Amino acid sequence: MAEPAYTVASDSENTEEEKSSSTFPEIAIGIDIGTSQCSVAVWNGSQVELLKNTRNQKMMRSYVTFKDEVPSGGVSNQLSHEHELLSGAAIFNMKRLIGRVDTDPVVHASRSLPFLVQTMDIGVRPFIAALVNNVWRSTTPEEALAIFLVELRAMAGIQLKRPVRNVVLTIPVSFGRFQLTRIERACAMAGLHVLRLMPEPTAVALLYAQQQQQTAHDNMGSGSEKIGLIFNMGAGYCDVAVTATAGGVSQIRALAGTTIGGEDLLQNMMHHLLPNAETLFSTHGISEIKAIGLLRVATQDAIHKLSFQASVQIDVDLGNGSKINKVLDRQEFEEVNKKVFEKCESLIIQCLHDAKIEVEDVNDVIAVGGCSYIPKVKDLVLNVCKRQELYKGMNPLEAAVSGAALEGAVASGISDPFGNLDLLTIQVTPLAIGIRADGGKFVPIIARNTTMPARKEMTFTTVHDNQTEALIIVYEGEGQQNAEENHLLGYFKIVGIPSAPKGVPEISVCLDIDASNVLRVYASAKHRGPHQKAMPSMEVRMPTVDDGHGWCAEALHRAYGSTSDLVTVQKKI
Amino acid sequence: MTRQRQLRTLLSSSSSSARLRRTLNPSNPNLPIEFAAKPPSPSLSSFFSPSPTTYSNNHRLLPGRGLDFLGNRRLSGKIFLSSQSARELDSKCWNCNAAAPFLVCSSCRCIQPVDQSVDYFQIFGLEKKYDIEDQNLDGKYKDWQKKLHPDLVHSKSKKEREYAADQSARVIDAYCTLTKPLSRAIYVLKLEGVNVDEEETISELDLLAEIMEIREAVEEAADSQALNQIQSEMQEKIKHWSNLFANAYRDRNFGEAVTAIRRMTYYERVTEEISDSSRNTRVVDNGFAARMS
Ligand SMILES: [Zn+2]
Repeated sequence: MAEPAYTVASDSENTEEEKSSSTFPEIAIGIDIGTSQCSVAVWNGSQVELLKNTRNQKMMRSYVTFKDEVPSGGVSNQLSHEHELLSGAAIFNMKRLIGRVDTDPVVHASRSLPFLVQTMDIGVRPFIAALVNNVWRSTTPEEALAIFLVELRAMAGIQLKRPVRNVVLTIPVSFGRFQLTRIERACAMAGLHVLRLMPEPTAVALLYAQQQQQTAHDNMGSGSEKIGLIFNMGAGYCDVAVTATAGGVSQIRALAGTTIGGEDLLQNMMHHLLPNAETLFSTHGISEIKAIGLLRVATQDAIHKLSFQASVQIDVDLGNGSKINKVLDRQEFEEVNKKVFEKCESLIIQCLHDAKIEVEDVNDVIAVGGCSYIPKVKDLVLNVCKRQELYKGMNPLEAAVSGAALEGAVASGISDPFGNLDLLTIQVTPLAIGIRADGGKFVPIIARNTTMPARKEMTFTTVHDNQTEALIIVYEGEGQQNAEENHLLGYFKIVGIPSAPKGVPEISVCLDIDASNVLRVYASAKHRGPHQKAMPSMEVRMPTVDDGHGWCAEALHRAYGSTSDLVTVQKKI
Repeated sequence: MTRQRQLRTLLSSSSSSARLRRTLNPSNPNLPIEFAAKPPSPSLSSFFSPSPTTYSNNHRLLPGRGLDFLGNRRLSGKIFLSSQSARELDSKCWNCNAAAPFLVCSSCRCIQPVDQSVDYFQIFGLEKKYDIEDQNLDGKYKDWQKKLHPDLVHSKSKKEREYAADQSARVIDAYCTLTKPLSRAIYVLKLEGVNVDEEETISELDLLAEIMEIREAVEEAADSQALNQIQSEMQEKIKHWSNLFANAYRDRNFGEAVTAIRRMTYYERVTEEISDSSRNTRVVDNGFAARMS
């Protein structure tokens, strides 16, 4: 059977073949694209080194500005002032927007950003535009990300004095496979070949594995297994991982992640300071954009200061008659963001639960990411983990990119005489994958936190007498009961099911995630009668959905109703 | 909630790690006849794996081979139980021809194709027995993965990389199977040629009654403390039956052993259900956004 339509991912599979035959392996660089800032690191032959741009920065703001016709990103561009970022000409928060449809609450929350995020609320990609000479010029998160990556690639090339092609990128745990294809697309547009997409906390886990191995080595010890809990909260996402590491191998036990981060803290505070903010900014006129920018900078500044002091004075004139003069203290900040912090706590609890690890058995608690500097975040992590102190020895802002660089070196086949690259990450699936069955329910076939590569199969049957067709609708998600609440990956039809009473035919669905994290769905129908005849089977590489996938499922439902439904088999006596 | 419905919910949990068909009093036409979410039928599944089934040895399908794997599973089971020693004597490294290469050749370090006659205990260098709780499976597992994991063999030939993927997957399978008492119990019986027939009807009404009582207790549990209490009772029971299994297995009383496996399966299912239901703090990714929208 032919492979489905050409995808960026299949391109990467082929190029990996080419690469492995090359005699001089190029060391892949590690890139951590943050919602707010970005960094690049590489194994320099003896250790991980973070690359700096021409302005000597290791952390570069993740944005692209279109103000000068030729777009430029935060790698090369020098902001004259923070407000330049907020003039409407710059696109940022790409990582929060990429691969999402306009019904997504995260996209809705982005409508108050200074650039234009327009939603039709019908399940298509949102309309995103930057203000150039008083015209809203449309772009996409992929395009903006690609422009930014081109700059990063050029910068790394200059630093390393060689062309850079292979990368290991860190991604949020909660990213679905469709979002991963968007990231891969952006990389391909930038001429980068993705060796691995690594969930952020697993990159941190690899760094931890290396450090533990080093420690064991120094102590001439056997290096018994260590359990690490990694909490990673940046501007856009909050992720948790539990890893069991020994001898440089990091076996991920469980992952949990969600779309909350510093951006939510910021938006909640802006709303708190100016309750009618959304109506005020909805028109995106020049003066409104300016007001949003002023409010955003003032709020950001205040939150930052609250990490170091108990209270802060906010004085900002939004220029449209509204002024904010207020003393904000930590308690108020924490109260306004109570729900965010509760979410963080439950994420840790969930991850420990899924890992089947008691909090007492955790050896080290590691908190990284920009938000780990916030006292409340530190407290809640310590509290849930019943600790007095966090793991030391990692720079919270550099841990993920360092891990990605280690993975880049390992994945490029580089070895180190001192054994510092004697490393391995054994990943698990961050999301469950299954099909719609049992009356619109999500029936997971590969559970969350299954060790990869993985292959699982399950048998289903028809719901109607003489049903000859069945729709295989594949979803991925945290395992919400209702299929529609998960992310659609694709769908196809099994036809030619032998006519039989309902419940008799067996339809086997098998999901396979290979070592390159490619998902294939196999399905076939067979008859259980005495004259069993083999039916042709299906093989579909997923995701197959593209933009507009938000309304595919609904359209399918309109067209087919329950006529092509499946249920998990319940055999008669 | 009626008893039948409770029972149904209890038995049909698709996340259960093992499956048992259950027939209720056939004179009551209102009762659903078959509860269990159908796992892959035994011929399709690898016998040792929890539902839904895990790896087969030939998981790396080439495009176009379709569902070949479905047929191969049955075959692999037979090979598995066949002349083990003969195969070991015969085997030579495909690369350097050294004898008895195991998973990786000790002479040239080349990864070998999967040899189904090597059982999971041999992979971990263990004696074939049920009681292995105190063994360091984890360390050996990680050692193997460092030699076999597909992420680490990029410089090797395509053929050897495929061997690596297969071997690594089998080591994962072996590790998962041997780590959990229930799957380990099913596996050791399988090695004795005893299949725990998941399609078989059970007629232990006392067990059913007990399960329903537990179910009621779970429903009525007022708080997490009460649930934890039930949870630890279940753990006790599993431990008890695990011990009975160990004895029965040692005495080669496979009938008793199978009974013990069934009990363990039910109690495991209850603990899974409690543990799932107690997660009312589940974090989902689609419900959250900042207030400013
Ligand atoms: Zn050899």
